Amino acid sequence: MSTVPERPLEQQITLLELVDRVLNKGVTLTGDITLSVADVDLVYVGLRVLLTTVSTMERLAAE
Amino acid sequence: MIYLYAIAEGLDGLPEVLGVDGAPLVHGSAAGLDLVLSEHAAGELDASEEAVLAHARVVEALVARSAALLPARFGRGFRDPDALREAIEGRAASLREALAQVRGCVEVGVRVLRPEPAPPPAAESGRAYMEARLAHTEEARELHEPLAALARAATRTVGATPRLLLSGAYLVEPGELDAFRSRVSELEAAHPELTFVTTGPWPPYSFAPGGET
Amino acid sequence: MSDELDRILGVTGSGDLDAVAGELDRLQGAFPRRVNADPEKVEKGLAQLVLTLVELLRQLMERQALRRMEQGNLTDEQIERLGQTFMKLEKRMEELKAEFDLEDGDLNLNLGPLGDLL
Repeated sequence: MSTVPERPLEQQITLLELVDRVLNKGVTLTGDITLSVADVDLVYVGLRVLLTTVSTMERLAAE
Repeated sequence: MIYLYAIAEGLDGLPEVLGVDGAPLVHGSAAGLDLVLSEHAAGELDASEEAVLAHARVVEALVARSAALLPARFGRGFRDPDALREAIEGRAASLREALAQVRGCVEVGVRVLRPEPAPPPAAESGRAYMEARLAHTEEARELHEPLAALARAATRTVGATPRLLLSGAYLVEPGELDAFRSRVSELEAAHPELTFVTTGPWPPYSFAPGGET
Repeated sequence: MSDELDRILGVTGSGDLDAVAGELDRLQGAFPRRVNADPEKVEKGLAQLVLTLVELLRQLMERQALRRMEQGNLTDEQIERLGQTFMKLEKRMEELKAEFDLEDGDLNLNLGPLGDLL
């Protein structure tokens, strides 16, 4: 248990928002081509190709 | 280990704050861009609240001193100056593009919560599931698009939690902030059952490519 | 310091700040946390990457199916079957997340410019 006084709720939320921005714990898809996990660029994924294929398929299906 | 806080254009000297673990800030440069750094012993950094806040404080202090700023996320370390220079030079073009985009703007975050988690459709039919998903997607779009329209750029984070209908980050010009907040108010009025939380202004963390480099 | 933590521009709704704090907390799991690379974490990092890709594909497929459903291009049977499949996938994802001790925030997909596709 902490003896530090509880921050007001608004400050807690702001802190959580700040941490969420600074830490970026999740996975980011950037620039269509790089997948980063915890700031480490791990994989080059041909995402653009994948997504183009998806939209082409959609268009063909609609015709 | 060289630790990166941000990449900037037109940096007007370093602010008088210390970095993570009390390390002094260092002004570096690569590919004609300003880098704000600190030096640490090799190894990992503890993502303690103190360290994260120190990082945030540095980034915050840099906003007023630069023409454009791309914040780095916590933990961006490089083995040595060569590794750092290579990383920056390798992405100079996309970094310049990103700097041009964020120049003069602030990031505003909007989160929208449902009153309760969306009911798990597990027990229902496949059709019910699809209809629920359709409604959910449309609702998020109805909230995001009007806001994105007032921003220079916008991102949406998907698949957050069952109650978070929308987590958006919007790159807004200072002159548009009032209009943006009005737009949020309009959406709030149209959706009284939802909770909206608008935070900002933030340095443009969500608009730095790959987080930073 | 209090200036930095004074970022809330507006809150509305049932005044449920507790709920907001709760949801944001879910995104982050335990905090503070170590940022390091012990072997267990590497495997978890890989699981995080793979599951995120699976989650992305699932959402893309679901989005496409929903579009076709909106346009009236699917039969009732197809809708039912798709719904059942996506439900199963979602359930399996929850199981896998639990198995690797991954939380909502770990598969947090920040789509950036790709956001328009979903």
